[in-house]
Amino acid sequence: MNQTTHMQLTNPDCGRLFRNHDWSATPLGAVETWPVELRTLTSVMMGSLQPMLLVWGPSQTTIYNDGYAAMCGSRHPAAFAGTFRSLWHDIWDQVEPIIDAAFEGRGTAMDDIEFIMHRNGYPEEAHFAFSYTPVRDPWGAVLGMFCACNEITSQVAARRAERTQRERFRQVFELSPGGIAMLMGSNHVFDYANEEYHSIIGRGREIIGKPVADALSEVVRQGIINLLDDVYRSGEPLVAKDRRIDLNRGPDGEKQSRRIDFVYQPMKDDAGNVAGILVQARDVTELRADEERRDLLSHELGHRLKNQLAMVQAIASQTLRSAPDLVTARRRLSERIGVLSDAHDVILEGGRGASTVLQLVQQMTAVHDDPSNPRIRIAGPNLKIGSRPSLSLSLILHELATNAMKYGALSSAEGTVKLQWRVGGETGDRFELTWAEAGGPRVDPSASPGSGTRLITAGLNGTLDGRVELVYHESGLLCRVTCDLETFQKEH
Amino acid sequence: MPTRVLVVEDDGLIRLDLADTLSEAGYDVVEAANADQALAILQQRSDINMLLTDIDMPGSMNGIQLAALTAERWPDCAIVVISGRYTPVKGVLPSGARFIAKPVSEKLLHSVLSQIPELS
Repeated sequence: MNQTTHMQLTNPDCGRLFRNHDWSATPLGAVETWPVELRTLTSVMMGSLQPMLLVWGPSQTTIYNDGYAAMCGSRHPAAFAGTFRSLWHDIWDQVEPIIDAAFEGRGTAMDDIEFIMHRNGYPEEAHFAFSYTPVRDPWGAVLGMFCACNEITSQVAARRAERTQRERFRQVFELSPGGIAMLMGSNHVFDYANEEYHSIIGRGREIIGKPVADALSEVVRQGIINLLDDVYRSGEPLVAKDRRIDLNRGPDGEKQSRRIDFVYQPMKDDAGNVAGILVQARDVTELRADEERRDLLSHELGHRLKNQLAMVQAIASQTLRSAPDLVTARRRLSERIGVLSDAHDVILEGGRGASTVLQLVQQMTAVHDDPSNPRIRIAGPNLKIGSRPSLSLSLILHELATNAMKYGALSSAEGTVKLQWRVGGETGDRFELTWAEAGGPRVDPSASPGSGTRLITAGLNGTLDGRVELVYHESGLLCRVTCDLETFQKEH
Repeated sequence: MPTRVLVVEDDGLIRLDLADTLSEAGYDVVEAANADQALAILQQRSDINMLLTDIDMPGSMNGIQLAALTAERWPDCAIVVISGRYTPVKGVLPSGARFIAKPVSEKLLHSVLSQIPELS
């Protein structure tokens, strides 16, 4: 074989240095005098693309090929055929023990050794995978050291960058407000899950390292594994909205039904094959419930508004029908709408279902009675009233007071009104209110009832079995309003 | 003989106003405060030509149930349903029944009633 051609092909640079070097001037002597071991290994080295190195004899004369030369940086070519120590003087404290060990007959292999090297004139971190092999003569004496190695600096850097990136992703995942988990392999083994994911499935459950079917066994029957299988097989992501999932997430592992938005994203390896699934999940149970409550409330408000408009329409129409002239009609209508508006304030202030009969009565007395000389005496229990009846009760009280001021007890200086309410009926299931006038002018029972009277007899809105009686005693008007208590207090 | 209308509405004011409006237009009006009362009236007398009912009312039945029952037992009785809360979708009301949304305008009420063939 033509060794020269061989060297030129695979290691042109070091092959030329090798041929042109005056070996007779070195401790190794002329090439013709070299032992067979040295000649053979030199040939192997100069024929190899893998970085290789020979350190020979007590002088530790150093010969290497082009691959190794690249690792020497700017020290090449000066280092060729020099001493090993002069080549690696800056890291000699690390190199010396292993080269000494080789010359003592002990080989060394390392997957990754890190050096800070100045081979390019500035310090740089370098990593190598290598083996130092002692080379012996037939009698066992160590002649030199043969080294095959690979610089893995770039691989280490890539691995580190990947690790850093993964670490950074994890940090982002941990801080994410959504639940994130990584499933690996075709049986979907939990590789990672962030804090929020744990909180969704139930804190304290051991899932890492387990397949989903074991870790969250309750989801198997709910078709979740099939969904994961589909994503894994097809490589297509899945987006699910507001899916009901029962999870054993209670403090004692008891089942709870949750509503969850989630995305299954296939994770592909470099070859494009699905290697796992990234799960992003958001527990929307409370959010959806809030939305539904809001929708219901706005629907409810719209409905209530329509009812109130219908009531205003009826009041306006009744007012216009019965008023003697337009001026009176305008005054009465604005008073009546004012009463509804005040009653509405009580409903809004008290919150839903929190207005009481007393509040409505006090609103009426504030308008129609004189605090320094009270003439309407009130008595009754603290009784809650629903918003629909509260509007009509306000109107009834207003009409009773207006009529009393105009024709009844409050039209004379001595007249009084006794306003009482209570829970009545044999089983305490009725609301009863009485308005009893006394001391006023003589009542003429035959007089035609005014428009106010008609509004009074319309009764309590929204209640069941309501009755309104107006009796004109000689002593004064007695009005009795009764209805079913449950519907009186109910929120519609 | 004037057309006799049964007005079923739990809100006394609205019922009062509907009754006045219908009386003024020449109808004979009978009033009920809920579906149970209305049913009792329908069973007692056979001269009701038309049912005008609200939907949402306290009691054992709502207006839709009352309308269905009326259509089944008194097929000659015309039916008009009113509501501020619901707009019944097709198929909920008996066939031939009309719907008017609350608040009910007098004009719309007259126009709907004039279109009912049983009443002319």
